[in-house]
Amino acid sequence: MRRVSGIMGAVFAAILVWGCMDYGPRYEEEFSMPGNGLFITNEGNFMYGNATLSYYDIESGDVENEVFVRTNAAKLGDVAQSVVIYDDKGYIVVNNSGVIFEIDIDTFKVTGMITGLTSPRYIHFVNDTKAYVTDLNDARITIINPQTRQITGHIDMGDHPSTEQMVQYDKWLFVNCWSYDNKILVVDTERDEMVDEIEVGLQPIELVLDANGKLWTITDGGYEGSPYGYESPALYRIDAATRTVEHCFSFGTDDVPSALELNGAGDMLYFINGAVWRMDVTDSELPDEPFVEDRQTKYYGLGIDPVTGEIYVADAVDYQQPGKIYRYSAEGELQDSFTVGVSPGEFCFKY
Amino acid sequence: MRFSGVRIWLLMLSMLPLAVSAQNLLDPVKIDSVVVTTSVRLQDIGVQKTHIDTRLLKENVTLSMADVLTNNSVIYIKSFGRSSLSTASFRGTAPSHTQVTWNGMKLNSPMLGMVDFSLIPSYFIDNVDLYHGASSTNVSSGGLGGAVALVTSAAPVDGWGMKYVQGVGSFSTYDQFLTLSYGAERWQSTTRVLYSSSQNDFEYRNYNKFKVPVLDGDGSVIGYEYPLERNRDGDFKDLHLMQEFRYNSERLGEFGVRAWLTDSRRGVPTLNVSYRDENATRSRQNELTLRTVASWNKLFGRLGLNASAGYNYTDMTYVYSVDAGGEGNMVEAIHSQSYVNTFFAKMAAEYGWSNRLMFSMDVDFNQYLVDSHDKSLTGGVTGYRKGRPELSTKASIRWKPYDQLGLAVTLKEDLYGDKYSPLVPALFAEYAPWGTDIITFKGSATRNYRYPTLNDMYYLPGGNPELRPERGYTYDLGLRAIHKAGFGSLKGELTWFDSYIDDWILWRPTFKGFYTPLNINKVRSYGLEVKGSAEIYLARDWDLSLDALFTETHSINKGEPVSAADNSVGRQLPYVPVYSAAVSANLQYRSWRLTYKWNYYSERFTTSTNDYSVSGTISPYYMNDLSLSRQFNTSFAAISLRFDVRNLFDEEYESVLSHPMPGRNYGLTIEITPRLGSRR
Repeated sequence: MRRVSGIMGAVFAAILVWGCMDYGPRYEEEFSMPGNGLFITNEGNFMYGNATLSYYDIESGDVENEVFVRTNAAKLGDVAQSVVIYDDKGYIVVNNSGVIFEIDIDTFKVTGMITGLTSPRYIHFVNDTKAYVTDLNDARITIINPQTRQITGHIDMGDHPSTEQMVQYDKWLFVNCWSYDNKILVVDTERDEMVDEIEVGLQPIELVLDANGKLWTITDGGYEGSPYGYESPALYRIDAATRTVEHCFSFGTDDVPSALELNGAGDMLYFINGAVWRMDVTDSELPDEPFVEDRQTKYYGLGIDPVTGEIYVADAVDYQQPGKIYRYSAEGELQDSFTVGVSPGEFCFKY
Repeated sequence: MRFSGVRIWLLMLSMLPLAVSAQNLLDPVKIDSVVVTTSVRLQDIGVQKTHIDTRLLKENVTLSMADVLTNNSVIYIKSFGRSSLSTASFRGTAPSHTQVTWNGMKLNSPMLGMVDFSLIPSYFIDNVDLYHGASSTNVSSGGLGGAVALVTSAAPVDGWGMKYVQGVGSFSTYDQFLTLSYGAERWQSTTRVLYSSSQNDFEYRNYNKFKVPVLDGDGSVIGYEYPLERNRDGDFKDLHLMQEFRYNSERLGEFGVRAWLTDSRRGVPTLNVSYRDENATRSRQNELTLRTVASWNKLFGRLGLNASAGYNYTDMTYVYSVDAGGEGNMVEAIHSQSYVNTFFAKMAAEYGWSNRLMFSMDVDFNQYLVDSHDKSLTGGVTGYRKGRPELSTKASIRWKPYDQLGLAVTLKEDLYGDKYSPLVPALFAEYAPWGTDIITFKGSATRNYRYPTLNDMYYLPGGNPELRPERGYTYDLGLRAIHKAGFGSLKGELTWFDSYIDDWILWRPTFKGFYTPLNINKVRSYGLEVKGSAEIYLARDWDLSLDALFTETHSINKGEPVSAADNSVGRQLPYVPVYSAAVSANLQYRSWRLTYKWNYYSERFTTSTNDYSVSGTISPYYMNDLSLSRQFNTSFAAISLRFDVRNLFDEEYESVLSHPMPGRNYGLTIEITPRLGSRR
């Protein structure tokens, strides 16, 4: 028996030495970054829950990654879709976590949460007490009161089960329907009702409004074999006042345009199509030469500094490692680069 | 590589000798085992094989093959949660690089390429052998990492038999197992039924969310802590039904018919980073599978022949529902439906020229028919209907120049659809200078190919018909030592392996919002496998057995950087631990048995660059399980009681990012085997 107990004792002792996992509480860090900066949402990988928030100090060039979890001791969640600043608060929409976090834009501390959403994509502020949230899997735009962070209503989008990016012209909100759709929908922000729709090409993925009151959208054209159809991608210019398509710039079938952005003045368009391209909003043709050459990278996001005109390009590399951001001067000269989180997608400037 | 008419004829000619010589061969295995037990076995020359003890398979009715392999093999099981998707990584390779067979029939999904081991109850399986690296060519094609051969067989010749097992566990988990068997001289029948269900709503502390206030009795905040939450949507109901018949005829040989029905209805647990309302979304995965195999084998002097044929039907449904209106009316946002029909035929022949020389040939044919469709809330129906025949032929020569040395050569050729692989040789050698019960040296090497799955090629959107097959080259060297003494016995195995896989297929996002598979990785996977076991006689009525496993696996990206920014080259692949180990100890005293299991994985990276960021690593995993059982023998039945404590130290952990795992939990099992009396 002494032999039995001796051996079993040794086994238990070994187990106690080996048997403890390093998993548990996180510790909070304090940040104070009141200067001009740039928020970058890193989507992470779908179903990994590894979305992160990076912050780039525009003045010093310092980068802080994972600022959300480091500050709040809680993870950002699964697929950080977009980030905007309104009334000195940052709003991060986390798609597959079904949540919008409101943060202090200098300390990154969470100051509020908006829940009750299904698959939120973007948030647009109509005024101090009303914001709209689009959704991938809800045929309604959700109305939020940002002050109470409560859902105050919904806007029925009819037979358009998915809504994406929003821009506002006068009291009219325009929203593109990307997934198996070909419409830009129009919402009356006073009555919170959908009032009109504009037909464009297949699958409008981007939407911006320039200084001349023109809407611009990129349609990706679907894909070969899609039951919804397949066509060449295109860039559309639409007059917001009359809601009519003014011009359609067609791409080749092998082109994959995305990430449509405007400069601060709203008179210059930028987009990714392998390389980064730039065109004046008054141009009648697509540019012949890229503005920033393709570096054999997976350009995944684009941001134009509204003050300096500098261009920030997000490179997802292989989508499974921390992405890289390239900063170019307004003239297209590479200034520097820095590493952020996995699949960087959206930029938001803090001035 | 396009298939040509010449190739078809070559393959057909290679099959001819089977039919011609089918009446003249001898079972060399039987001869071999009779002649010299300590000499190299012809059948297994150079084969790196791990046999999973039947006792481990029948240990607990609640265990799946994922649980058994986690604790008792060098395979890394990536588990997405309790009774959730569990895939195998063999020697640092992908789940689709582990081939799985049941009584010779391939179980790997032709759509996904892999097997979910959480759906295979270990209690149903009678015999498991793991074939490492090159040795997998003995079982199936495409096992770049290895192969798992599952076997069930009808009851022995012993009259009526019956066993009923009832398990009750934490989280409203119930397992009911019944087997009925009858064995006579010429025919045997075994029926097995297993029904498992669980709410699986274990409580866990969620360290990914915000701390919540802790209130005292007066409602005052006295601190903050991470919230306690429950695993959501993890419930499951699994039904397994298996029927086997075997008929023996001295003149005609042995015939077997087996059918295995699985009806699994499972929730897909919510991530622990979700803030959605409890009823806002729901994911369900249902699978109905019927596998049938009919087999025949017979000895004709020196010729052993085996033929089998089967049919496999799978109906798999995944539904993601959302409460789009916010009023409790769930709408299907995604409805994925796939039907797979597989027709299978296999023929094997072994001819023992002498006790030292054996020839064998195998032909394995699978015809897959897949009808896969996805219906989304936003779009119409996308999908594909495709079929693909797969033919694999293999010829082997095994030779023992003398008792201590064995050499084997296998030549393989595979045909997938209208494409074929080059002729692939596999080499095996084994040397036992002082007999196999002392020390044995082994080595093997082969090339291997794995063809893209049907989803890889045709899934809409994203399928890529231009994909090349993954190409692998692997070799291993090892030794096995056995020592027997008065106190018991010691056994140890040490194996070095080295594999190169080119054109590894990975799915990558596109700018159009979907993923597409590409041949982009080149991987070298090398390392060490160590196995040890001891049977120790401690004192009168006291026995101790110890089993230990250790694996070191470096699975390294050796490809070209995708761009100047790519830092993944030279790094360990995501979710492959460098080190893993397991120890299990069994202490037996008369009818009592105490079992302790300890399992370890080193940290696993979630990024291709091995970052030590918050979500970049999953911390090392240590798991301890304890069980105590006792056997009671009465005049009417043998009764066994068993009590399990799993996760003994109540560890809080994740095995896969954002997927919560249960803390300490318990199980009680009673097993009743009535004494029905033998037939004779």
